Amino acid sequence: MRFSDVDAGALLQQLSSSGVGIDFGAARARIQTRLPALAAMIKTVYAGFPVEDPSGMFDLSVAVRRVGGLRSILRPQVELRCDGVREFEPFPLDTPLPLLEWGTNYGLASRLFCYLLLHAGVVERGGRAIVMPAMPGSGKSTLTAALSLRGFRLLSDEFGVVRLQDAALLPMLRPLALKNESIEVIARFAPEAVIGPRFPKTHKGTVAHLAPLTPHVDSRHLPAAPGLVVFPRFVADAGVSLEAVPKGHAFARLAVNSFNYDALGPESFDALGKLVQESSCWQLRYGDLPRAVESLGKLLDTLN
Amino acid sequence: MTPPPLSSRPLLEALADPRSCTGYEESHWDKVIPLARRSRLLGVLAHRVAGVVDSSRLPARVNRHLNAGIIEARFRRQKALHLLHVIAPVLKRHQGPWVLLKGAAYIAQDLDLAHGRLLADADLMVPRSALADLEQALLRAGWEFDKTEAYDQHYYRAWSHQLPPMRAAGQVLELDLHHTILPPIGRVKANTERLFADAVAVSGSLFHVLSLDDQVLHAVVHLVHDSDFAGRLRDLVDIDGLFRLLPLTDPDRRRLLLDRARLHGMERPLRMAAEFCDAWFRTPGCREVMNASSSPRSFSLYGASVMRLANRVIGPGDAESSAIGGALARFVLESRALWLRMPPWMLAYHGGAKATRALARRVSFRESAVRG
Repeated sequence: MRFSDVDAGALLQQLSSSGVGIDFGAARARIQTRLPALAAMIKTVYAGFPVEDPSGMFDLSVAVRRVGGLRSILRPQVELRCDGVREFEPFPLDTPLPLLEWGTNYGLASRLFCYLLLHAGVVERGGRAIVMPAMPGSGKSTLTAALSLRGFRLLSDEFGVVRLQDAALLPMLRPLALKNESIEVIARFAPEAVIGPRFPKTHKGTVAHLAPLTPHVDSRHLPAAPGLVVFPRFVADAGVSLEAVPKGHAFARLAVNSFNYDALGPESFDALGKLVQESSCWQLRYGDLPRAVESLGKLLDTLN
Repeated sequence: MTPPPLSSRPLLEALADPRSCTGYEESHWDKVIPLARRSRLLGVLAHRVAGVVDSSRLPARVNRHLNAGIIEARFRRQKALHLLHVIAPVLKRHQGPWVLLKGAAYIAQDLDLAHGRLLADADLMVPRSALADLEQALLRAGWEFDKTEAYDQHYYRAWSHQLPPMRAAGQVLELDLHHTILPPIGRVKANTERLFADAVAVSGSLFHVLSLDDQVLHAVVHLVHDSDFAGRLRDLVDIDGLFRLLPLTDPDRRRLLLDRARLHGMERPLRMAAEFCDAWFRTPGCREVMNASSSPRSFSLYGASVMRLANRVIGPGDAESSAIGGALARFVLESRALWLRMPPWMLAYHGGAKATRALARRVSFRESAVRG
């Protein structure tokens, strides 16, 4: 049964007792909370995911709960525990979903040394991946979201998960966090898109989460071969321009933008080398989202 | 001594008998792996399991996490070696010997207990006479202090056994420059002269390490005398490993260790560590240390209650329960650690200074919040 189909009361019941399992593809997490508001948000942004049995082994267990104590009367807050440990400061009570998403990403990044984790959005079409590494503010999430709503399969937005043996890209499918202007941009771009509640005034401005499409959820165990590496940069009114990036540069920029390149040592060097060798690497400047999506589609088609 | 709390036992069993891991259900691993990670022992567990079990006999998801422990430990080991390589030219221009302590020393000697061990920082002991010049040289070479507040600097320099931790660009680990192994104003004072006199050169390296007995005793006081025990199971695993390496079962080695403990005034901490290792790991030879004629006969009511509280908080425990008892135990043990670290008048001064600074920070934070 998927989150969209499960009864809200029953979901809250399960979340507050033994929790529910969610399989993102490359990893799975157990989530527990007693907060009814958060349960409703989870139901929206994880709509297409199956609700899984929380027994067995999970890569990460997260629990979100209200902070107790006297201070909570003046300043109500929620905290998140990764495997029982509170690893960072609580968030305001009215932002439980950003905390869950951010905390889960944090927990996964610090546990999954079995993969090379790039900070990148990844989509796929025809079996070939487009890896889009980027700094915050580059428009990576907006572009990834737009592609996923125009016939490309979404693998991940935060983590580009690279399998070490063969540099295949694995899905780590999670709700896609849109920030500030890009929320309305995507809502206009694809009015049918399911976007969760807006959270103003988080440390990253206003945040809202795009629910991955159900067919993408159902393909979350399907890897993709390297295809394109695209470094996007949003430049207002710039139209669309693509410029080839030398492979050495692409390698260095990907390595710097990784969560664990350093820690993995020779394995990550080899895997990243393979990814770059087998990809065509580009710098994309874009101000026009539909045209950017179209250009990347054409570029990907030239590979096949 | 009371047995280890139930919540820690899945990890203790896995560490003690890694061969039995092949029989674990995934739901059991779901307890063991987080306990190991929380205690900073995932790499150690992985190393022990890999030594006796073929990975194909374990679930893929389990292997993934065990490998993560090994990779992280390997990375920090590499970073420690790199750090030592980088500072070697600076050291060479100053008076030695340069004595590696704890994790860095275990790595330099390639001890079995170093495998999979997650290093926190690099600890190096140098003669106090060389300390000031060496500090200046490191500062010129790009190292910086993490703590720059005047009081912190003063605290370390006047009353601690090390300089404030140093960092350099490109280094993941902090460098702790020691001149002895315990605060010179604490209740127990190590015989620093003998620490240096009996240090051993590591072959093929620029560095020395403490004699094995002193390494054992350093690990012992680091946990039993100079910490609040909370979540420090990793330190107990170190002591267990060193006891076995000695080995503690050899009556002659045991006698030498007890003699050495007397020299440093560390009989009581050694006895406590032996009790802990016996209760938590059944380390062979611990009972003999506890019963040796030169060991303190018994603990006072205070000593016994410290043991009892420590027993409760040293493991990774049941993190879900934030029971008041646990919080109280941590508070008492933290106070004890401070008490042992400095005389009462110092404690009052240090506590007062800390509170004043905390208050000042709060006020200035409020002010800036109002202005902002």
